[in-house]
Amino acid sequence: MAANRILVAMSGGVDSSVTAALLAEAGHEVVGVTMKTFCYQDTPAHGRTCCGLDGIMDARRVADALGIPHYVFDVEEEFTRDVIDDFVTEYARGRTPNPCVRCNANTKFGDLLRRGRALGCDGIATGHYVRSFRGDDGRAGLLRGVDRAKDQSYFLWGLPPELLPLLHFPLGSLTKPQVRERARQLELVTAEKPESQEICFVPTGDYRDLLRKRLTPRHPALEPGPIRHVDGQLVGEHSGYAGFTVGQRKGLGGGFSEPHYVIRVEPETRTVVVGPQEALRSSRVLVNDLNWFHGPPQAGEQVRVQLRHRAPDVPARVATVDDSALELTLATPQLAVTPGQSCAVFREDELVGGGRIRTG
Amino acid sequence: MDYIYLDHAASSPLRPEVRAAMREVEESTPGNPSSPHRYGREARARLDEARHRVAGVLGADPMSVVFVRGGTESDNLAILGWTRSVRRTGGRPRLLHSAVEHSAVAAAAREVEAEGGRVEIFPVAPDGSARLDDALESLRANATENGSGDVFGGLVSCLWVSHETGLVLPIAEVAHWARERRFQVHVDGVQGVGRLDPVPIVAAVDLFSLSARKLGGPPGMGVLVAGRGVTLHPTLFGGGQENGLRPGTEDVAGAVGTAVALEAAVSQRQAEWSRLGALRDALEARLREGIPDLVIHGSEGRRTPHILNVGIPGVPLDVLPGALDLEGVAVSAGSACRSGATGPSPVLAALYGEAHAVRVAPLRISLGWNTRASEVEEAGSVIIRVVEGVRRAFGGPL
Repeated sequence: MAANRILVAMSGGVDSSVTAALLAEAGHEVVGVTMKTFCYQDTPAHGRTCCGLDGIMDARRVADALGIPHYVFDVEEEFTRDVIDDFVTEYARGRTPNPCVRCNANTKFGDLLRRGRALGCDGIATGHYVRSFRGDDGRAGLLRGVDRAKDQSYFLWGLPPELLPLLHFPLGSLTKPQVRERARQLELVTAEKPESQEICFVPTGDYRDLLRKRLTPRHPALEPGPIRHVDGQLVGEHSGYAGFTVGQRKGLGGGFSEPHYVIRVEPETRTVVVGPQEALRSSRVLVNDLNWFHGPPQAGEQVRVQLRHRAPDVPARVATVDDSALELTLATPQLAVTPGQSCAVFREDELVGGGRIRTG
Repeated sequence: MDYIYLDHAASSPLRPEVRAAMREVEESTPGNPSSPHRYGREARARLDEARHRVAGVLGADPMSVVFVRGGTESDNLAILGWTRSVRRTGGRPRLLHSAVEHSAVAAAAREVEAEGGRVEIFPVAPDGSARLDDALESLRANATENGSGDVFGGLVSCLWVSHETGLVLPIAEVAHWARERRFQVHVDGVQGVGRLDPVPIVAAVDLFSLSARKLGGPPGMGVLVAGRGVTLHPTLFGGGQENGLRPGTEDVAGAVGTAVALEAAVSQRQAEWSRLGALRDALEARLREGIPDLVIHGSEGRRTPHILNVGIPGVPLDVLPGALDLEGVAVSAGSACRSGATGPSPVLAALYGEAHAVRVAPLRISLGWNTRASEVEEAGSVIIRVVEGVRRAFGGPL
């Protein structure tokens, strides 16, 4: 590989730290960048967690140890518009959004690419566990990471296809334990840092706090409404449908002879519909907001689809597909196919695109 | 080409004569100036000498020279020391400051307000004129203690030279205005010293702040000149050093380094004004030619020659310094938040409006004692090239 200037998105975690180290080792000119995506506090008196300062400091220390420049970019405006506003709107519509997918499709790669080009970079790298490839025909694409437990291709179906040839994912061929080991060998300060679990812009861990802050007061999504059984019977009241996601068991009250789950959310009537597990299964999936790396699959084609993070992919047949909608028939009915979540479409290990689940 | 450093307004490299003088003190003077023994007496003598040298350059009474740790501390001591002394005597302090102050003054003023003082901010026009009467109007509207409707007494804090644009503010007029209304005056002179004659300014005001590192002096050293007519309440507590205003064992080498840097900067200021002025003018012309929609901030008024602040429309505020860094040129932009990200400049917002500050990416190019003509020339070409690249990156489709 020719030595060129590559921008590495550094969050201050172990994965992006090792990404930067590996690329520098391979002889690339590496530029580290941390994106400031949001501020926890609006007040001028900052707390320690403001702007992810800890992460920024860790990223800076790793960059310094590797001898690479590091910059902080403020993409708060773009991130708020493309990710946080969408997150809030989706919950208000009774869906369960994937903010990381939005961030990857827009902020992490789109906004970063422009800034990367502004810095004279001809490639972009992140610490995602996914492999990029360049075929003999020049076609670029993405494959699942070799560490199946860490594979993050599910979050990347929304990437603009023109970006594919510019991407570097050096962790795709490594396992997480190998990455930690590399970090220890290099004595990176982030070597033992725990995984981040929470949605980065929901520091309290309860997204409803964010909804209360960003939705209009007394928004229907946060007002009480009926809980109905799939058979139509009124079985209780909830305190706001935005607090519910398909497949959820918590917060439904008791009194059922068998475990009950959220089957769907009906925002028009603020209704949360519940039912037994078999009512959660569906074999038909309708997908919108499509993105394809090399054009859509054909009607009738057999593909594999992943319907939530950490779920295995399952065989499906493309029933119909056009510019705006994809309809899939699952070989085996799946539990809790959730509107708002992502449907990532694969041919074997290759991610070919995907969309947002409209109905399951 | 070597790395080109054009960020002297942030920190100017240590002058060799300052380094030599400080090393000599560090090696020869191990004592604490408060100690009664020989080492202590020697340290005291060097400190006194430094104080007299600083006073000599500024035309100030040596007793009024307070060594502090940096420009921010000097501004804070002036403002909070003044307002807290008023509170101590049962009064409610009144503070006016300009809309283009450094955050060391602006943030201290917010603290004054939080402590119950009255703070008004007066606008500054793009040509540098200070509209003090505007702030007086608001004070008057709120003043109940005076039957005549006039407001007397308070502190006016005004920047001498803008740290972002080099714009010179009319300190003599401000001081005159203040005297007529029995206000005292603090001047943040951090960017003015070494550029303009400090003697008439120091003579005309009550409190004057400077920072050593902007002059090629030691980092972490500053001076507050506190005239005999002002009463300050300390902001730090401990021993009685620096007339009780800055407790803590004195940094003798730092004080000597400050004196040497100040003497060098002030004695060379006229020659440097013409030398840097010519470099600045050539760079400005070059950039105007290469970037036709370039905006020159501060050009509506009188500017010092060591700062050129240009605005580039249509690029994000945060990418230019990094892009230039990678091409070997150090400049600064906007105002850095604690994360290190660059946001809109409150100073440019005050001068040209919020919309301008958000839309136009500023570059502050600042020259200093060791800046060479060839560096400025090379930087001009690099800036033009980088701006073109950045615009390409943000102009078209992904």
